[in-house]
Amino acid sequence: MIEDSVITETRMPSSEQTLEKPESAILEKAEPVFEVKDVSLWYGDKQAIKNVTIDLPAKAVTAIIGPSGCGKSTFIRCLNRMHELVPRTRMTGQVLFRGQDLYGAGIDPAVIRRRVGMIFQKSNPFPTMSIADNVIVGLKLNGVRSRRVLNERLEKSLRMAALWDEVKNDLDKPGISLSGGQQQRLCIARAIAVEPEVVLMDEPASALDPIATMKIEELIRQLSSDYTIVIVTHNMQQASRVSDLTAFFYMGQLIEFDETRKLFTNPKEKQTEDYITGRFG
Amino acid sequence: MNPSRHILQDFDAALESLRADVLMMASLTDRNLQNAMACLLDGNVELCAVAVADEEEIDELEKKIDNDGVEILLRFQPVASDLRRVISTMKVSANLERIADQAVMVAERSRKLTTLPVLDEVHALGPMFMEATNLFRDSVQAFADENATLARSLKARDREIDQINHDVADNFVERMGHYPSRITDYVNLIFIARHLERVGDHAKNIGEEAVYAAEAEDIRYREAEFPAA
Repeated sequence: MIEDSVITETRMPSSEQTLEKPESAILEKAEPVFEVKDVSLWYGDKQAIKNVTIDLPAKAVTAIIGPSGCGKSTFIRCLNRMHELVPRTRMTGQVLFRGQDLYGAGIDPAVIRRRVGMIFQKSNPFPTMSIADNVIVGLKLNGVRSRRVLNERLEKSLRMAALWDEVKNDLDKPGISLSGGQQQRLCIARAIAVEPEVVLMDEPASALDPIATMKIEELIRQLSSDYTIVIVTHNMQQASRVSDLTAFFYMGQLIEFDETRKLFTNPKEKQTEDYITGRFG
Repeated sequence: MNPSRHILQDFDAALESLRADVLMMASLTDRNLQNAMACLLDGNVELCAVAVADEEEIDELEKKIDNDGVEILLRFQPVASDLRRVISTMKVSANLERIADQAVMVAERSRKLTTLPVLDEVHALGPMFMEATNLFRDSVQAFADENATLARSLKARDREIDQINHDVADNFVERMGHYPSRITDYVNLIFIARHLERVGDHAKNIGEEAVYAAEAEDIRYREAEFPAA
């Protein structure tokens, strides 16, 4: 029982939180989708996240950057409880999703993961399924049976993932017959087919060639008008191209969070400046 | 964490080289201004020709700095203070080239003045020339040292040069009425004052770039800041 190995404690934020809230028109304009309050997380004895407090705004792209092992992937997994799939995980603090405690009693992680989708570094289409089935599998699992609805959602999702024109005549072919970049867009189509509110992306383009990467980046910008996107990336140029806001993590701590343009031209924290300018390590 | 050195040593070397070129350009521009001043105040026609000829070297440096700056942007895609340094260095280079242009125009107009009996009023431009030169030197110093305090003080000094320009022009226009036969000379002097005023403008721009490089603040088109008493 994986779930049994997870201990989740909820407590109020500590008063020691010192990170300044950024002066950001984006943050002022948009309602926060996530309110993360003083979240810490341990894998066994190792603390991966330390007292992170941050509000993530709706219909914006937030990039999470930082060196390997800084906790950025762990952090986004806290946003849809994916970290609970790792044994001996312990979390404290609070994550509010649309004002509701994500870790509250009676919250079904499966429902959360439907509302908060995730794209991984390596594309993972279901190998035995066709392109079409890969996209609509989530809908079928959710009980949608109407062929008309499934077909509409299939086309809409593939169009939104900028893949329709490339695959519309091959919908019955296996998903794994596509190129790496197409497979990743297929996974994005699969994620958005169930109409989540948030799409989390963990290094979605790091295994792709530059052209496929550009297509994914263009797609992220287009999706940001309808979805809240949180993207983990090692590629700082990618963060500066696709995101509205950027959070810099270092050794499990949130060091700085600001509008992307500000963070990449005039970071407030020296650690941020040293990292993004390549004076780290 | 090493605060001073870039992981890519090539980047540090490229940025240092870019800044060295712009400081060399500033040095040549300074020499051009001095030659133009000697031409005006001492009637040294030879230095007029030198000022005009030297501008070509400055133009070449401007092109080199643009090319090298673009290459740095392309190769290293700098961010934060690195990005600001590259951008501001390229913009300072453009302002230096314009100052050198002004020096050439001063030299050319001065050469015309030397062919006639020299007006005493020529020497009235000496203090203005010194003000403009000092402002220019301080702007380069502020940029080289990323001294935002010095850089912020330059706007007020540029305003003073603007005022001198107005006063000088009023004075020369009045003198034209008294000596209509020397109108052409007075017009040349008015233009020289105008060129010096433009030197002040470009020096102020360099100061603005120094503030941007040092503190990421855009102070262009703002009122002059006066230091607290």
